[in-house]
Amino acid sequence: MIFASAPFVLLSVMLPLVSVLLALRADWQQIYRYCLPVLPLPALLMGLLAEPDWWLELPGLMIGGLWGVDDLRRAFLLLTATLWLIGGVFAIGYLKDHKLRRFCVFWALTLAGNLGLVIALDVASFYSFFALMTFAGYGLVVHEGTDEANRAGRVYLAMAVVGEMAILSGLLMAAQLAGSGLLADLPAAIADADRRWLIMLLLLAGFGVKAGLPLLHFWLPLAHPVAPTPASAVLSGAMIKAGLLGWLVTLPFGEVSLPDWGNGLVLLGAVGSLGGAALGLCQQRPKAVLAYSSISQMGLITLMVGAALANAEAAAPLFAVMALYVLHHGLAKGSLFLSTGMALPASRGGQWLMWLLIALPGLSLAGLPFTSGAASKLAMKELLKPDRFDFAMAAYLSVLMSAGAVATMLLVWRFLWVQRAGASTGSNPSFLWLGWGLATAASVVLFWLLPWHADVPQKAWLSAMVQDAWSLFWPILVATLLAAVALRLVKQR
Amino acid sequence: MSLSVLMPVFALMTSLLASVVLFALPEKGYRLRTTINLVAAVVKIALVAVMIWGIARGREYEAAFTMLPGVEFVLRADALSMLFAGLSALLWLLTTIYAVGYLEDSPNRSRFFGFFSLCVASTMGIALAGNLFTFFLFYEMLTLSTYPLVVHRGTRKALRAGRNYIIYTLTGGAVLLLAIAWLHGLVGDLRFQEGGHFAGVDPSLQAPLTIIFVLLMTGLGVKAALVPLHGWLPQAMVAPAPVSALLHAVAVVKAGAFGIIRVVFEVYGLEAAEAMGLLAGLALVAAFTIIYGSTRALYQIDLKRRLAFSTISQVSYIVLGLCLFGPLGVMGGLVHLVHQGIMKITLFFCAGNYAETLGVHRIDELDGAGKRMPGTSVAFTLGAFGMIGAPPLAGFITKWTMGAGALEVGMDWVVAVLVVSSLLNAAYFLPILHRLWFAEQQQAWPHERRWGRLETSPWLLWPPLVTAVLLVLAGILANVPFSPLSWAELIVLREVAL
Repeated sequence: MIFASAPFVLLSVMLPLVSVLLALRADWQQIYRYCLPVLPLPALLMGLLAEPDWWLELPGLMIGGLWGVDDLRRAFLLLTATLWLIGGVFAIGYLKDHKLRRFCVFWALTLAGNLGLVIALDVASFYSFFALMTFAGYGLVVHEGTDEANRAGRVYLAMAVVGEMAILSGLLMAAQLAGSGLLADLPAAIADADRRWLIMLLLLAGFGVKAGLPLLHFWLPLAHPVAPTPASAVLSGAMIKAGLLGWLVTLPFGEVSLPDWGNGLVLLGAVGSLGGAALGLCQQRPKAVLAYSSISQMGLITLMVGAALANAEAAAPLFAVMALYVLHHGLAKGSLFLSTGMALPASRGGQWLMWLLIALPGLSLAGLPFTSGAASKLAMKELLKPDRFDFAMAAYLSVLMSAGAVATMLLVWRFLWVQRAGASTGSNPSFLWLGWGLATAASVVLFWLLPWHADVPQKAWLSAMVQDAWSLFWPILVATLLAAVALRLVKQR
Repeated sequence: MSLSVLMPVFALMTSLLASVVLFALPEKGYRLRTTINLVAAVVKIALVAVMIWGIARGREYEAAFTMLPGVEFVLRADALSMLFAGLSALLWLLTTIYAVGYLEDSPNRSRFFGFFSLCVASTMGIALAGNLFTFFLFYEMLTLSTYPLVVHRGTRKALRAGRNYIIYTLTGGAVLLLAIAWLHGLVGDLRFQEGGHFAGVDPSLQAPLTIIFVLLMTGLGVKAALVPLHGWLPQAMVAPAPVSALLHAVAVVKAGAFGIIRVVFEVYGLEAAEAMGLLAGLALVAAFTIIYGSTRALYQIDLKRRLAFSTISQVSYIVLGLCLFGPLGVMGGLVHLVHQGIMKITLFFCAGNYAETLGVHRIDELDGAGKRMPGTSVAFTLGAFGMIGAPPLAGFITKWTMGAGALEVGMDWVVAVLVVSSLLNAAYFLPILHRLWFAEQQQAWPHERRWGRLETSPWLLWPPLVTAVLLVLAGILANVPFSPLSWAELIVLREVAL
């Protein structure tokens, strides 16, 4: 082993957990604040440097532990660690001294859960870290202590607990059939199960709560916006992906083709991506618009999940694309959320530059050529060609993707509009600049340097993008025209 | 006499002797009393540890003599005894430390600690009893030694609760005695034995054996607080906090649950009980108790009362586990004997700390207590999450093992019971945690005492912190030798004979 992964995998989870000791004394809280960006560093290094497919056995842990990283998890790990690091930098400047200690503790615990669930290969560790993230995340949601935050927290917690129970039942049944405590053995066992539908339903719904699946999403637009801005960024950028990862590592992808489930999920994905956008357009606050945009984007990913369930052979290549999409959306959404906490500079030129930089990750979500979104959308389009599938909803996939792109762009305009209405001018603490700058840089530039999944189709590469520029551009154009018309109508009234 | 005979006798005598000495001590001998208490507790832990080590390596410990013709007094240490004895010895030490701090200035401490030790001696006897007769002796001794603890404060409320307690438990004891006597008349003196005695029993005996089983479960179910025999438990929480802690975690409810385990495994035998159709009824009662206790807990505004109803629910996990009639289910039930003990004692210690330090008894007075008492509140939080069954804590290991056991034998409805119970647990614990950590303090604490820089007396603070660490370790290290789960596995392999 070139890179000593074993100590790193332990360190990446233990560092945030042990950091809680910094809360023992009140006068250490300033130190803790500055430690926040350090906490995800070992995990980030591991994501960048570790070679794929290795693991660490921890036989004494619960019912037998196994931690490690494969190609899929590596993308999730990179996103999670990067976003939490950037969020940590932003938090240094953002947080007030009031209740700082408590925030740091819940931040660190949520982070530990989020990182741990990515590297857990056994059921018990995975579920433990998932639960840690869920429960500690409550502390981030209700941190502000307002009535609104408490209400959002209650809904969050109630739905999360029900979700946890669904996950537990599903995992129990699957693990019992598999006769194994390893996640890798579950898909095959579920594929052969007599009550496959029940297990799949439990897992889909349980993880769907986190992933913002339509009808299980109610908590999301309440909770994501009320949290402090850096927490919103990690909630909507990284933690929402934990639900997706849960699906990807447990459901019987590649084992059997399940066209009915594919149909159902594509339908849910369509409702999520278009319905989420429609509701998002009605929102008055920038963070609420972004939260609905997350639901909408998860809906687009759900299309891929459905397709992968419908056709066993398509699963492996689709996983690579989903990993790419996860990375793209997480970084872009993180950057957008952080920008809601920024004040504009006084000079006109500075304002223009800032608006451009705020808009760029949004345009990337809509698939502007030569952005991370373009790469993800092209790769997705390449794999979701209807001739590869023969389930009923497959014919609508490309239409849905285009409609999704238009809807996304409309939401971005809506976001910029409400953001402008509430924007203030003034100076920002330097750590806000640094955090937001890092986030934008990560979304626009760094994305291209990260080690992606090895199997992403060549279509997604920068060099191939010129030919497809028009197919990427027209949804943006349509949405912009629609937005302009809407603006005219509003102004006339 | 060899050591293998003496060890169980010593283990029993440590607390018995301590109790006699403590009764004799003058009220003011604070240092001496504390020293005797602690030394006895540590010695007992050492004795039990030696026996656990020996039993793991296949040694046997037994002391027996004939009391009357046909009636033997048997003390025997097997793997199952050690599950209960280990829990009892460990928590006795911690509760003693806690009680020393809790009763600092209150009257009648000699009496209190005397009965306290006697109560622990009874649990040790119950753990080591080798037949039903011996078991019954200590079971009744437990009733009599806990009564003075329940009424210790001497208030009208305490006396009423005590009267209720003694009526319930003595009636239960009488039913138990009747059943044991009937069984004795039917088949003679039965030692506890692996696999039980009634495999392939004469069909003509089936009817009386079924009735006796119901009687035994009724007698034992009073202490184990099976619904509808649970009425004494919520009232008994008027007792001082260390007593409640011990009652709910080790002594009384566990004595009932442990008795049920002995009867099912080693008198009837799991297979025979299943074949006679006795387990199905017991499973239903246990499942109903689980849901009922949790539902009632939801409506309590007094913290200790809520915890009391939670106990009713949680102890039935143990009984339900046995009824699953498969190695994993039984393991889940057995391990919960220890897990529930550690978790519940943590919660009661913490409830006592809030009451002693802040004068807080009601849940709605707890707003902001996390800031004032962070150590206690961290312990409470861990205990509560353990009860909910959140991983990786002890409660999760129970739930996972029992759930897997239920699915293994096709009793899927048990998973639904576990899920509903967890949801209810979440519904009554999570709001408390919100109050502790996220609500702002509304008014001055009702009756606050200060201890300088510490949040409360160190005697009160350390025991819950230690048990909180234990409940985390019992979960995270469940697969390590000598963890509660590993020990339960050993019991199933050796003694349950499935």
